[in-house]
Amino acid sequence: MPMIERKQVIPGDVIARGNHRYGSYIEKRGDELVALRVGLAELSQEGVRLNPLTGPYIPRAEDQVIGKVVDINGFGWVVDINSCFDGFLPASFVFGREFSPATHDLSSKFSVGDVIGARIESFDRSRDPQLSIRGHGYGKISEGEIIKISPAKVPRLIGRRGSMINLISERTGCDVQVGQNGVVVVMGPPDGIAKASSVIKMIDRETHGASLAARVEEYLGGGADGS
Amino acid sequence: MSMKKNYVVETIRKAQMVELLAKGRRVDERSPDEHRPLTIQTGVIQKANGSAIVTLGNTEVLAGVKVATGAPFPDTPDKGLLVVNAEILPLASPYAEPGPPSEEAIELARVVDRGVRESEMVDLTKLCIIEGKTVYTVFVDVNIMNVDGNLFDATSYAVVSALRTAKMKKYAVENDKVVVKDDVVPVPVEKTPVSVTMARIGDVLVVDPSSEEEAAMDMRITITTDDDGNVCASQKGEASTITPAHVLEAVDTSIRVGKAIRAQIIEATK
Amino acid sequence: MGLLKNADGSAYINWGKNKIMAAVYGPKEVHPKHQVLPDRALLRTRYHMAPFSVDERKNPAPSRREIEISKVIREALVPAVTVEDYPRTAIEVWVEVLQSDGGSRVAGITAASLALADAGINMRDLVVGCSCGIIDSQVVADLDDTEDKEGSGDMPVAIMPNLNQVTLLQVDGMYSRADFQKAFELAIAKGKEVYGMQREALMKRFFEGQEAGMVEEESA
Repeated sequence: MPMIERKQVIPGDVIARGNHRYGSYIEKRGDELVALRVGLAELSQEGVRLNPLTGPYIPRAEDQVIGKVVDINGFGWVVDINSCFDGFLPASFVFGREFSPATHDLSSKFSVGDVIGARIESFDRSRDPQLSIRGHGYGKISEGEIIKISPAKVPRLIGRRGSMINLISERTGCDVQVGQNGVVVVMGPPDGIAKASSVIKMIDRETHGASLAARVEEYLGGGADGS
Repeated sequence: MSMKKNYVVETIRKAQMVELLAKGRRVDERSPDEHRPLTIQTGVIQKANGSAIVTLGNTEVLAGVKVATGAPFPDTPDKGLLVVNAEILPLASPYAEPGPPSEEAIELARVVDRGVRESEMVDLTKLCIIEGKTVYTVFVDVNIMNVDGNLFDATSYAVVSALRTAKMKKYAVENDKVVVKDDVVPVPVEKTPVSVTMARIGDVLVVDPSSEEEAAMDMRITITTDDDGNVCASQKGEASTITPAHVLEAVDTSIRVGKAIRAQIIEATK
Repeated sequence: MGLLKNADGSAYINWGKNKIMAAVYGPKEVHPKHQVLPDRALLRTRYHMAPFSVDERKNPAPSRREIEISKVIREALVPAVTVEDYPRTAIEVWVEVLQSDGGSRVAGITAASLALADAGINMRDLVVGCSCGIIDSQVVADLDDTEDKEGSGDMPVAIMPNLNQVTLLQVDGMYSRADFQKAFELAIAKGKEVYGMQREALMKRFFEGQEAGMVEEESA
């Protein structure tokens, strides 16, 4: 099995030197790769990664997010996506090209307070993120429990290739939708929801550790009340 | 308060600056440690106790001294008061606006004040009339008339020159009462602090930045020295950094460049 | 760290008699809109002293001293924050001095930089400060409030320790060329010591009870 070296880093720490591929939250300074966040750095053959332990949600194109409609104007819906930037879902993305503000009633589709799953269609420095609900699994979410976690913990909740989220789903019999923005919706039987939501909160609380998967496994295998 | 730079320097102009600086030259043909022409004219406001107009290149600053009497601070009952205040007048630049003093103007006044105060330029104990009760209060107000970079040094030279030529009414204590006398005495000036401000543009420190250079600079450092080459005040400005080695270089430059400026101030305020 | 639940990041520092709370909010929307910077975040700072933080009650309105210190604190922190990562947003840093002692601005900067890291704002380095001064012609580090009044000088310095860059330097007092260098270099050295404690605080908050090192990659 390939080995990964893990390092606990704070901003300004040199994670590695030399020519490695590197991901977000890392700055290259000469031949040094420097951490920009508190987090767990991983050095492997694939390169250098930093999994931050804290931080706000900054939208990126293609991210799946869960948000709530906070305003409707003539041309679309303003969606709070748990970020300093509000998402905007244009009405033409929902009603199609024939959309006309004169004939279509936007609130017939989504009204203020509705929770929706969406994809970030585009986002750049000059405009607020544009949302789209085209594709499978997007659109209004009409049931379930909403849990907010730190956006920095989302990768941990999902796990490698979805391992963690699948485990939770399987063991609790719930459908768990995770937004990259730290908003999670759990749907299923009530006792399953209780169990899933407490394990999700545990993952949010605990810092990264190699044994997290084992702890979750143990937890889900144990009592249904999750104590 | 806006953090936007008011004056924008053209990228090609900045590139030219950096290129020239690498060869030790500046866009206005000065060497890195050369200040712009400095003129000092004193006694320009008759109603003030002391005044001076200073021009540094196109930067123009007027300082006026007003002396009155008042109560001392409780923690320094035997010392007079000395207060420096600065205002960037709306007429000084297309970017200046009327209103309460900006953050920049407050910093400017406080840094100049620090140089004057910490150098012990004015012997505040000689400004005491009745300990704990009545002292001289010396206000130096600065009007910035025209902005073309380096307000810190121009303001400092104007304040120092105005103070060096200021005269105040003599007061006497008769039967525990303060009595005004007819004759005047000079404000008790002991030293001549000189502020030298440098801008870091890339890797080079340049003395007395013009507004064009200020628009291109990464950071600013002001160092004030006294007649004996002691450092008595300093301030790093702008949202960038400086290396420790550059700080020490700036101290040496300030001591060196400050000598000639001090001589000029002393000559102009004889 | 993380004491203020509403804030995105916070840190509390006890340094001598200094008791200072620093909080970070943001990135968030900029109000008023005309202050928006299209290419980077607007960093706002306020250094404020509580009326009860000093011997004589302080007027709660911001003084000229506080306005100046707020400005130099901002200029000391901005170089560490990758503001270009957060265009069109505001990052607010509130430094509240609950009890003041000598060196409150450098203590405030030290706490503020931890609060920024706590909030998960991208930073090139932490910022840490220490001040030096002269008492009886001796260069000394970290003056307390009584020494500050008796001494003949105060030199607050803030640095980014890994980058070896100075982000704040203010001097008042009377220093020979040699003493200036001595005090300046001592402030940097002491700042690096405080950095060790800053680091410890961050490690404690985020990694307590965790182990790093080599692990086998988790299977899919």
